[in-house]
Amino acid sequence: MSAFDAVAAIAVATAAVAALDGLTSAANLRVIYLLAVLFVTIRRDEATAIATAVGSVLALNYFFIEPRHQLRISHSEDVVALAVFLVAALVVGRLAATARDRADEAESRERLARVREQEARLIARVAAEVLGGASIDERLPAIAAESTDEDGRPLVRVEMRSVPVESQDEYAVRLPTGSRSGWVYVRRNLGWERADAERLAVALARLIDVAAERERLAVQSAQADAARHADVLKTAVLHAVSHDFRSPLTAITTAASGLSEGGLSEQDRADLVSVIETESQRLARMVTDLLDLSRIQAGAVDPREDWVDLHDVVAGAAAQVRTANGDHPVAIELPVDLPLVQADPSQLERVFSNLIENAVRFSPPGVPVRVSGGTGAGRVTVRVTDRGRGIPAAQRAQVFEPFFRGRDSGPGSGLGLAIVRGFVEANHGRIQLSTSDGTSFAVSFPAARQPAPSA
Amino acid sequence: MSKGGEHVLVVDDEPQILRALGVILRNAGYAVATAATKSEALDAVSVRPPDAMVLDLVLPDGSGVDVTSEVRTWSQLPIIVLSAVGDEREKVRALDVGADDYITKPFGTEELLARLRAVLRRAGDERDDPVVKVGGLEIDLTDRRVSRDGEEIHLTPIEFDILRELAQHAGKLVTQRQLLQAVWGPGYDLETHYLRVHVAHIRAKVEPDPSHPSYVITEPGVGYRLHEPAS
Repeated sequence: MSAFDAVAAIAVATAAVAALDGLTSAANLRVIYLLAVLFVTIRRDEATAIATAVGSVLALNYFFIEPRHQLRISHSEDVVALAVFLVAALVVGRLAATARDRADEAESRERLARVREQEARLIARVAAEVLGGASIDERLPAIAAESTDEDGRPLVRVEMRSVPVESQDEYAVRLPTGSRSGWVYVRRNLGWERADAERLAVALARLIDVAAERERLAVQSAQADAARHADVLKTAVLHAVSHDFRSPLTAITTAASGLSEGGLSEQDRADLVSVIETESQRLARMVTDLLDLSRIQAGAVDPREDWVDLHDVVAGAAAQVRTANGDHPVAIELPVDLPLVQADPSQLERVFSNLIENAVRFSPPGVPVRVSGGTGAGRVTVRVTDRGRGIPAAQRAQVFEPFFRGRDSGPGSGLGLAIVRGFVEANHGRIQLSTSDGTSFAVSFPAARQPAPSA
Repeated sequence: MSKGGEHVLVVDDEPQILRALGVILRNAGYAVATAATKSEALDAVSVRPPDAMVLDLVLPDGSGVDVTSEVRTWSQLPIIVLSAVGDEREKVRALDVGADDYITKPFGTEELLARLRAVLRRAGDERDDPVVKVGGLEIDLTDRRVSRDGEEIHLTPIEFDILRELAQHAGKLVTQRQLLQAVWGPGYDLETHYLRVHVAHIRAKVEPDPSHPSYVITEPGVGYRLHEPAS
C-alpha cells in the first residue's frame, strides 16, 4: 500500500498547488510538495519516501514550472528542490523509523509487562497455597482457572494428568516436574506467547516439586512425632509397670514365704492368704488395664455390637465394684424407660465399672455414689456422680490422659479414665466431666431407633 | 464336695495353673487328669472320656475353640472354657460351637466349683423334681407358678418361658441364642432386644431390688444365668 500512499500524497499536493496557483510564487508552492513528501516519509519506509520525493519534483516540474506540461529540469532551482526533497525524505525518514521502532519496542514491553504481571499473580497465589500446606493436586487447577486477563477472560488452565487435552486456541506445555505429571494450557491471542507459557510451566513445576517435597516431609515428621509419642508412652508404661507392679509382688512373695513358715495361727494364715488374693487381683487388673490401653491406642478396640440395656451393664458394673470395695453403696437411679443402645456390652460394663470404682475411691465412706440418667437431644445419657473432693480446675483437661493421677493418687494405675474414654468413643459415645454438683462423668450414646417389640 | 468322684480333665499349657487346679479339684472330691496341648486333650478325651472338661482357650498347638468343636462331633461332655479379659470373641465362638459355660481368669475357687457343679448337674439330669428352688425363689415348671419367699409372683407367658429356661439350667450360663430359640423358636437368634425388654420386666417382678439384680444375672454379650443370691 506504500505505492498508493505515495501516489495519493502527490495527487493531493498537486491538487492543492493547482488551487493556489497564481496566488503565490512557484517557490512557495514547492513547500506544499515538501509536506506531501514528509507525510509519506513519516509513515512509510525509505524507498517510498525517495519515490515520493522524486515524483513530487517531477509533478511540480510538469504541472507548474514554465514551460508547463513538459519535463525539463533545467533550473538550478529544480535541482535544489529535488535535493532538498531527497534530503528531507532521508533525514525525516530515519527519524521517523527510529521513532516507530521505539514505539514498537514500548508496546512489546508493555505486553510483556502485562504477561509478567498475570504470571506473577498466578505464581504468587500458588506459592501462598503451597506454603499454607494445601494439596497442590487439588488446588492448582482451581487457582489457574481463576486467572484471567484484565477483561476477565480465562487465561490459563492446568490439568494434573499425563495426557494433554488441548483446544486449538491454546498453547499446551508439559509441566517439567519430577513428582507429578500435568499440563499447563495458555490461551492464544491474549498477549501470551508460547515462550511465556513455557516460562510459566517451569515456575509452576518448581512449586509443585516444593509442595510434593513438603508433603513428603510432613508425612515423615508425623511418623516421627507418632514414634516419639509412642516412645514417651512406652517409657511411661515401663515406669508405671516397674513401680506399680513391685509393691503387690512384694506383698505376695512376703505373704507366701510367711505361709511356708510353720506355727501360724489360723487367723494369721487367713490374713496372709487374703493378702495374696487381693494383691494378685490388683496385678491382674493392672495387666488388663495395660492390655486395654494398648488396644485402644492401636485402634484395635473392635466393639461387638448388640442391643444393650444400660440398667444391665450399670448393675453388673456396680456389683463388681461393690464386691471389690467392701460394699460401698451405689445408688442406681436410672429411669425405667431408658432406651436400649447399640454397643459392645462387655466394653460398656468396663466403662461403668471403672467410673463407679473411680467414684467410690473418692467418696467419703458410706456416702453413696449416684448413677442417674435420662434421654434428650437424641442421646441416652448415664451420669456417675460422687460427692468426694472435686477435681481441681487445672487438672480437668488431663483426667482422660493415660497415667494421669488426679486428686490424691490412690491405688489406681492412672489408666482407668483413659480406658473409659477409649471404649466410650469406640462405641460412638461421648464422655464429659462436670463439677457443678459433685464430680460427675456423663457418658452418652446416640439414641438408636428402638427395635419393634416382640410378638 | 463332689458326690461320686467325677472325673474332670483340665487342659492348660501353664504347669502352675494345672498344679493349682489339680489341688483344688481333688480337694473338692473330683478325680483329675491334665493335658497341656490340644492333641493331648483330644487323646485324653478319647482314651478315658471325663465327666467334664475345664479348657483354656489358648493352647500352644491350637485353640480351645477347635478342641470344643472336635469333641462336640462325638461327645456331649460338659465343657467350661477359661477365658481372659479381652478374649470375648474367642469365648463367644467357643460357646457357639458347644461349650457349656465359661469362667474369666483370674477366678475364685468357689466360682469355678459352682460352675462345675452346675454343668455336671445338667449332665446328671435333675429333671425329676418339677419345682426348682433358687434362693427364696420357687419355680414350678409343671404348674407354671413362681413365688419368692412364699409370695406368689404373676408373670406373662413369655416371661415365664424365659424364667423356666433359666431355671432348668439353674446356676449355668444360658446363651442368648439358646433362650431365643427356646422361647420364640428358630429364626429369632438375632432379636436380642426381646430379651433385654422381657428380662427387665422379669427383674421388676422377681428381684428384691431390680436395680441390683441378685437372681437373674446378665453375662454381658453372652447370655443370662439364674443365680443363687450371695448372702
